Order: sequence, then structure tokens, then C-alpha cells
Amino acid sequence: MTYQVLETSALPDPLEIDFEPLNIRYRPMAISTIWMFSIVFMLIMTLTRWQPFIALPTDLLAAYPLAVGVVLFISILISLYLYIAIPCKQYCLTETNLHFACGVIFRRIYSQPILRIQHVELKRGPIERAFKLASLQVFSAGGSIHTFEIPGLSLHDAQKIRQFILDHKGVRTNG
Amino acid sequence: MDNDQIKAASNPEKWQKLSPIAVLYFIASGIKVAANNAIYLLPAVAISYSTVQENPQIWLPIVVGVLCLIGISSWLQYAFYSFRLINETVEIRSGVFSKTHVDLPFARIQNVTIEIPLYYRLTDTCCLQLDTAGSTKQEAKIVALPVDFAETLKKSILNKVQTENDSSQGKIANQQATHEQSPLNNENEELLNQRSLKDLILHGITNNRVWIIIGALAPFYDDVARYLASIAQQLGFDYQHFFDTQSQAAWQLGLAFLSLILLATLSVTLLSVLGSIVLFYDYKLAKTTDRYIRRSGLLTKQEVSMKRSRLQVIALKQDWLDVLLGRINLELKQNSSGGQNSNDLQADTNKILVPSVTQQEAESIVKDALPNNKLYETGFHSISKRFILRQVLWLIPFNLLISAITFSNSGIFGILLTQLASGLIVFLIYCRWKRWGYADDEEYIYIRKGLFGVDFYSFPKYKVQQTQFIQSRMMRKRNLATISIVMASGALTIPFINQLDGKRLLSSSLFTVSELNRSWM
Repeated sequence: MTYQVLETSALPDPLEIDFEPLNIRYRPMAISTIWMFSIVFMLIMTLTRWQPFIALPTDLLAAYPLAVGVVLFISILISLYLYIAIPCKQYCLTETNLHFACGVIFRRIYSQPILRIQHVELKRGPIERAFKLASLQVFSAGGSIHTFEIPGLSLHDAQKIRQFILDHKGVRTNG
Repeated sequence: MDNDQIKAASNPEKWQKLSPIAVLYFIASGIKVAANNAIYLLPAVAISYSTVQENPQIWLPIVVGVLCLIGISSWLQYAFYSFRLINETVEIRSGVFSKTHVDLPFARIQNVTIEIPLYYRLTDTCCLQLDTAGSTKQEAKIVALPVDFAETLKKSILNKVQTENDSSQGKIANQQATHEQSPLNNENEELLNQRSLKDLILHGITNNRVWIIIGALAPFYDDVARYLASIAQQLGFDYQHFFDTQSQAAWQLGLAFLSLILLATLSVTLLSVLGSIVLFYDYKLAKTTDRYIRRSGLLTKQEVSMKRSRLQVIALKQDWLDVLLGRINLELKQNSSGGQNSNDLQADTNKILVPSVTQQEAESIVKDALPNNKLYETGFHSISKRFILRQVLWLIPFNLLISAITFSNSGIFGILLTQLASGLIVFLIYCRWKRWGYADDEEYIYIRKGLFGVDFYSFPKYKVQQTQFIQSRMMRKRNLATISIVMASGALTIPFINQLDGKRLLSSSLFTVSELNRSWM
């Protein structure tokens, strides 16, 4: 067992990584997902409000405009946040590591050595499929809370990264 | 019965029944299940309370019925349980109505645990638990095996796992030599550590091991409380009168509470000592060429073995009492992402705990487990003082809010009290800051943390699974960062360190992982 002394200056700097932005379609997808949910939510409230079958208590009727307003307000807030936050999400694939950065105020950089990857998953929900996007999930022995996920990749990029990981020599030999 | 077992052991490829003594195990687990489910019967009992009060003998048939049911189902479980060993695979068939068939190739078995419950002592049998990595469903327990047979089986499983993993010729030859020796001798085993009764009593005092007693008593809480109350009344101790604010002066009341707290602490400590002895009686930590083996237990004897290469992190934990007494709880942690058995420490095979060892003993175990480790020589860097500032910032709004509330209730005195409490919290934050420290060398990273006590962690860089570099805008201005290193046994975080140091720790870990290309298992 030999350990060579590592020269600090020769090491890659985790902060000076050439990050790539996520796919350009990811931001509209995330924001439209929020609006789809809020519209469905408001629709249910409206239908309940105007349905002719059951007489609702007056308090509930009075609360209706307020509730719709709150849902609208929250959706706008989340959309604004996503508008700012999504460009902060970036990723980078190097020869040995997979990096992912995110966070507006607290910036987090996750680094996943490719040698430690146990398996890779491509996740595509119905909305992601409509936008031709995919999320790449990478599992290590660090446990499920430390699952490394890169959302908003174009399907082509995600497949390329997945193949790169699977073809990586270390992953193939270590299982 | 013994003859059957010996025959079975010599010809393991046929489907085998368990020894009839296994029924005891099924009965014991049946009673456990019944006791745990008894709570669902409470509504029924509550409704029929008056009827029961009138004729208490109605309980008799119910109890007899439940016991019969447990007996019959235990016997059925026993009758439908069979296992065989074929092609280096353990196959187990079980289940009365829903049948399960488990196939467990030796090569996939991670841990082998041998357990000898109290009721198996006389017959010299044991339970053999086989765990695979990760999934909880894929584990098997063979009950009531003769101890000798279980040991042989364990040896051949472990050897199989070893030969699968190592392809070097020398090692295989070594294992074949191991094979030929008698399985009864603990060959090649070297005793690393042993705990005496005194150590266990110390461990019980410094660590809370009450839960094992409490856990066992859980179904009887109400009865115990009622019993204690009735004893107190018989002794003429009227607790209602004792704590009556109208008839007692404040100092008397205070004294009563104080004595009650003392009494409670004393009894909890005694129970904890008892728990510690039950768990760790006759504790022995041994090592073979590639494994650590822990054996302990008063009622249920347990043997846990862990592959040395699976060791991820060593933790040395000292509570404040441990610091005073100079004792350390040493933990050898391995992969824990499966997360099973986390609520049952005795069955927890994710780590090996060596209770209350002395400094020298801890040092020798650390040196053995992690060669070239410099935990005892290294100097620690402290983290930034901004850590204190950050925590105090959280405190300020709470302080203002509580000050306002206490001011409106009890005037200036309230504010004074709040400030005093805040001062205490700030002091605690300072203590916490003082304990934080980190260091590294070519191979290992060392972390020190704690409040009154102190914990040390050390792990090899090449076993790192993932790293996180966390920095707020304010921290970036001050060149600070928080780093988090994910190991297979869990994440370790170092807050508020110099960003260059953080980068260096992370990049050297990532670099070591990819450069050495060594397996973490």
C-alpha cells in the first residue's frame, strides 16, 4: 500500500470548475409545472364554490377569493424564486468526478467521484417527457439522502453522461 | 434429536428440519408479537370492563386461548420451516399460508451474526443471522442450529466471501489452510480487547443504557406505575399531600422535588448499569486476518463479525463524565446505508462498539484498525470564530421575543432571567466552537468536536463517497466555507473553516479516490 504525497497546487480546485448551465428548457418547464399545479388547485376550489349540489357554509364562501389570492401569490413567489435559482444550478463532468452546484444564497457544490457510483438512473416524468428533458440520478454507498441528482438535462446529454459513467473503467471493475 | 442434527450437518444438501427446540424461538417471538399488539385490544377491554369486573375468571379462557394459538402457530411455523445448503447457497423455505423461499448465495452474504438466547443455552444451540448488503428483505435467520454446525457454516460462508473478493494466490492458500483446521478452535484469532465487570459498571454510569430495560418493560408500564403507587401508599407516603402547594412551604416543595430528582437519577443510573451489563457482559473484541469479531451479552450471547476492509470511520466518543474518568467509547463503523436494525443497538451490525476503553486501549485499537493513523500525534486546526457569531445571530430574535414576553409577565426580573439564559447559551456555543477542530495527512482526515464531552473521528480519504462544499455569500467574503464529507457510514461536516483549507481537504480526498482506485468495501 503506497501513498504518494499529493501536491496541493496540482490538485483541481473545486471552486474553479468550468460549470455548464442546465438545459435552456428547464426553467420554463419548472415554472410551468408550478402553474399547472396551482391552476388545477384553483380550478378545484372554483368548481366546489360554484357547484349546485351542496350548500356550503357562508364562512367558506367568503374565504374563497382570499384562498384563490393566496394560491396565486404563492405561485408567483415560487416562480420568481425559480427564475432566479435555476440559472444557479450548474453541473460539470470531468474525467474522474461529477460536480453539481446550486443555491442562491448558500451555494453548495456537490462532487461525486465516478469510481464511487453504484448505479445510475434516468428519471423522466410526464412533464419532463413533454419538454424532452431528463433527470440523472446517481447513487453511491453514501445512502439515499445523499443521492446525487442533476435535473433538467436534455435527454441526449443525460444519456451521454449515463453512458460515460457506465463505460468508466473503475465503475466497470468495481461493480 | 442430536443424532438428527449431526446427520443433517454431515449431509447439508437435503432439505432439513430445524431441531424441535426451535419451537421455543417461535413461541418467544409469538409472545413478543402478542405483547406488542395487546394495545389494540384496549378498546375492547375498556368496553367490557364492567362485565370483566363482575366475573374476573372470564380472563382465564382468553389467556389460555391466546397461549394455545401462539403454541399452535409456533408449531406450524416450525413444521413448515426447512433449509438446505446447496451449491454454496443457503435456501430457506418457510411460511404456513404465505410461503417464502429465500435463496442466499454465500458470496452475497455480508455479515454473519450468531446469537444465543437464554433459552438456548442449555441445549447448546444458536440462531444464525445472515445479512446481505442493503436490502432488509433479503436476510435470513436460521434458528436452533447446533453451535458447532453454525460455526462451521459461518466459517465456510466467510471463506467463500473472502475467496470471491481476493483473487491473489497467496490468500487462497492461506484460507485453505484455515479450512483444514478444526472449526471449533478460534484459530488465527487474536484477542484485541476485553471488558471487565468494572468497565461495564463505569460504562453504565457514564452512558445511558436504560433503554434496553425500558424497552423490555414497555408492555408493563401501567402495571409498574400502579404497583409503585400502591407500595408508596402502603408505606404511608402520600404523594398527593407531599406535592400539595397549599399545605407545604416553597422550600419544602423544592426539597421534595430535589430528593425526587435524586432518587430518579439514582435509579436510572442503576438501571443503566444493569443494561450495560446485560448488553456487554463478557465483552471480547477479537481479530482474525481479515475480520473483527465482537462477542458479548449476558442473556442473549451475540457474536458480530465485520470485515476489516469494510471499516469506514473510527469514532472515539467521550461524554463529560467520560472525560473526567478518562474513558472512551470506541466505534468501528461500517456501511450503514441499509439502515436496518437501527432501533436495536444490540443487533446493530453496522458498527462495533467497544465500551469505555482507556486511552491506551483506544490507541492500540485505532493503530490496529487504521495503520499509519496519526490521530494521537496530530495537532488540530480550530475553526473560524465567525461560527460563534453565526450561532449568536440566530439567538438574537428569539432573545428579543422571549424578553418581550417575560417583560410583560414579570417585568425587569424577567428580562434579567432571559439575558442570563442567553448568556449561558452563548457560553455553550463558545464551548462548542472550542471543541471543533480538524486535521489531515496524506491518508486520513481527523475531526474533533463536542460540547462538554469530546468526539474524535478519523477516516481514510480513499473511502470518501461524495463531498459537499457549502458557502454563503457572507462566508465567501470572509474566505470561509463549510465542508461535508459523505462516507458509507454517514456524513461528517466541518463548519466555518478557511475556504482554502476546505478546498484542499475536498480536492485531496477526491484526488485520492480516483488516483488510488481502491475499493471502499
